[in-house]
Amino acid sequence: MTKPLVILEKVQKHFGDFIAVKEINLEINEGEFLAIMGPSGCGKTTTLRMLSGLEEPTIGEVRMNGQVMNKVKPHERDTPLVWQSLALFPFLSVIENVEFGLKMRGIDKLERKKRALEWLEKLDILEFSERDISTLSGGQKQRVALARSLVLEPKILLLDEPLSALDAHLVIRMQAVLVQLQRELGITFVYVTHSQSEAFAMADRVVIMGNGEIAQVGTPKDIYRSPQNKFVAEFVGRNNILTGIVSDVKKTKAMIETGSGVFSVILENNSLKKGEQASFVISADLVHLSTSEPKTDNTVYCKLISEEFVGSMVTLFLEDQNNHEFKVQMQERELSKFELKPGSKIWLSWSLKSTHLLEVN
Amino acid sequence: MLIKKIQKINVYAMTWRLPIIVWQLLFFVGPVIFMIAMSFFLVKNYRMTEAFEFVNWSKMFSKNYFWDSYLHTVTIASVSTVFAMIIAFPASFALAFKASEKLRRWAIFLLIIPFFTSYLVRTFSWFVILSENGVVNALLGYIGFGPYTMLNTNFGTLVGYMTLTLPLVVILQTITMASIDRTLIEAARNLGCKPLATIWRVIIPLSKAGLIVAAIFCFILSFGDFVAPFYLGGSQEPTLPILILDTTKSGQQWPRAAVVAIVMMITLFSVAFIGIALAYRKKAKK
Amino acid sequence: MNSKRILNIALGAYVGAIFVFVFAPIVFSVVFSFNSQRFPTIPLGSFSTEWYVKILNDPDIWKAALNSLIVSSSTAVIATVLGFCTAYSDFRYNFRFKGPYIALILLPPTIPLIIMALAMLAWLSKLGISGQLWSVVIAHSVLTAPFAMAIIRLRLNQMDPDLESASWNLGGSEWATMRYVIIPFCKPAIISGLCLAAAVSFDEFAVSWFVSGLNKTLPVVILEIVQGNIDPQVNAIGTFVFFTSMTLVILAQIFFVQRQIKSTKS
Repeated sequence: MTKPLVILEKVQKHFGDFIAVKEINLEINEGEFLAIMGPSGCGKTTTLRMLSGLEEPTIGEVRMNGQVMNKVKPHERDTPLVWQSLALFPFLSVIENVEFGLKMRGIDKLERKKRALEWLEKLDILEFSERDISTLSGGQKQRVALARSLVLEPKILLLDEPLSALDAHLVIRMQAVLVQLQRELGITFVYVTHSQSEAFAMADRVVIMGNGEIAQVGTPKDIYRSPQNKFVAEFVGRNNILTGIVSDVKKTKAMIETGSGVFSVILENNSLKKGEQASFVISADLVHLSTSEPKTDNTVYCKLISEEFVGSMVTLFLEDQNNHEFKVQMQERELSKFELKPGSKIWLSWSLKSTHLLEVN
Repeated sequence: MLIKKIQKINVYAMTWRLPIIVWQLLFFVGPVIFMIAMSFFLVKNYRMTEAFEFVNWSKMFSKNYFWDSYLHTVTIASVSTVFAMIIAFPASFALAFKASEKLRRWAIFLLIIPFFTSYLVRTFSWFVILSENGVVNALLGYIGFGPYTMLNTNFGTLVGYMTLTLPLVVILQTITMASIDRTLIEAARNLGCKPLATIWRVIIPLSKAGLIVAAIFCFILSFGDFVAPFYLGGSQEPTLPILILDTTKSGQQWPRAAVVAIVMMITLFSVAFIGIALAYRKKAKK
Repeated sequence: MNSKRILNIALGAYVGAIFVFVFAPIVFSVVFSFNSQRFPTIPLGSFSTEWYVKILNDPDIWKAALNSLIVSSSTAVIATVLGFCTAYSDFRYNFRFKGPYIALILLPPTIPLIIMALAMLAWLSKLGISGQLWSVVIAHSVLTAPFAMAIIRLRLNQMDPDLESASWNLGGSEWATMRYVIIPFCKPAIISGLCLAAAVSFDEFAVSWFVSGLNKTLPVVILEIVQGNIDPQVNAIGTFVFFTSMTLVILAQIFFVQRQIKSTKS
């Protein structure tokens, strides 16, 4: 991760009165796998379309390799995109689809075919080269779409929720294919998705967007463990968010008085004043259960509402006496020790280290 | 400023947008406007001279045969519309509610075919079939009826109009009724609405807009057709299209024909306008 | 339950009767064309190809058939080009006065042919281009462009809107995209449009009659024969005209529907 390949500087996009992207500053590095994630309507696809030139920024600059790209037409760029709808040409065969971009660049027939076949082979769909698009399965179409873009040997590949139409088991397989491709080719991937699991599984860095703005940029771990603000904490889920008034500030920790009790929160670089409002989170997997009241600082007595099993992991949904919801995530094997059923009462606790203060926004 | 505007013109977009504008202005709007202008021209010694006189208008409007013809055309086109709507309804009802999706599609496809085949030949065929010694009278003769005179009567004209309009009316009625939400009909039946009452109180109100559009098309087609009244109706009572035909073809009186044409167009636009207003009127009262 | 069945049978019979009424003139025209009687009726006369022999030996009819062929094929091309441009403009762009723009192409078929015929005759005479085959082609293009436009517009509706952008994204300019993506995608509809426009033009008699002058097309010849008397030649010509237009309509349908099935499968 060396120098930035793409720079978005104070970029805005308006559609009439509607502001799709409010103001974005972002650097995309050469060779990185960057995921842009956010709920629908957050401006992530618009951002991607501005990178491909399909939309022109209303304000601000998009630079690639130091060159301002605002006025460069889509077909004059080298920013192939893998579409959510795949947008394969239904009237062309598989190989003709892959050759399309080369044909548009005026590359001669033999060369075109040679390169297209190479890529079909790399993506393991060589046997389908003469087939009609409509006869392919979802996963095969996905590979054709990838080959069609990668055959151009771009420095950057844009992907707009490419896996959203696939079955769950295929998604996992395609994720592996994508990551391997990206490592092998060493090119930049910009991957737009609303799926956390996809973004966290593949990306080097994740950009979280909300309401046309960037809410946080960081590695998956950063975002998961240290969400900067409430929006990110809520979007990532699996977080217990508590809000209250600062009642005491010490050197490394602060006391915050919430509806569920007074809790100590670790201070990193934050400056808090007494009497201020503050929010903090505790990751659901860092909360411990115990049947008797723990002798530590941060404890809450809760009632179990429901359980949700995903594989060997279980998420417990609990409520304290003020009906504030808490989430606890753990291995199913560990949970069985407690013999809980809905309505059971139990103590929650977490260490000071597990707390994370959110920025006020 | 102007230069900036010219530079901003998108050549690609204009390549696709302009052809039809130019073509239709030249060959559609042009002719229609010229025809309106022509209604004010003069004809002297069988030659048309450009002028701005109301003489054609006053001549036509003062002629009894013009008003008779107008009344007759409106009447027979209206009768044709009512007939077509009523005759088509049971068939459309059956196709919309009783037939399978596949059968309905086939029926509509078959009904489209006549629309693209020669109406003239079909009319001539009726002329032969309905004649004094034709197929219909021969068949009726076997069971001891007739022969009846069907040609050169209003009945003949109506048969022609039905040939022209019935396929379209059935198609439009069927499509409209087939797109009604079935659950509403079932709900009505469930609430104790009898079958006929369901048609009258649920199906017809729900498909009102489509039915009115069908009626408008039917009226336009009948009102403007000269073939059926000419060949099957015998043009004893000339309709407006026949009047245009006679005035244009025989006497070089194009300006007077233009007057008739304009009156026809105004009538049709009024009917279409009123019909569409009725069809899409907000149901504020209910 | 039983009365419901009777009702269904009655409705079925009624639908059948409507179809008999609609197709009777077509069927009889074909039957009469092979019938020896001069005044065809029931019982039918003997099988005869007399009328066909007669029209095949009539140079005027040959000329009219050739004229019809020229007019309908030229009309089809012009109308389909116009229809395609308009359909694409409507699909791709939003602009001011789009409503009137669309009305401009869709309106002509709603105006009675006799009025269009008069207006065309007057205007083309004024421009000095009346009485030629080209005058008929011009008038017919106005009348048939909406059909081509409608069917191509329907096809464009089926297109993934990302397809055009995808082509740009892969390095195709707008023009290249038109050539390599939009036109190939619309090809079935373009062929259907050609067939439909040709079919409408091939049958049209009112406008042709007014503006063709001495260059008569087949429907104009029919019109003139019919004005004279009952002449079963009309059935023979009519049968030929019927089958030509029906073939065109069916071809149009096949091209359009098959592609539709194919693209919905994918």
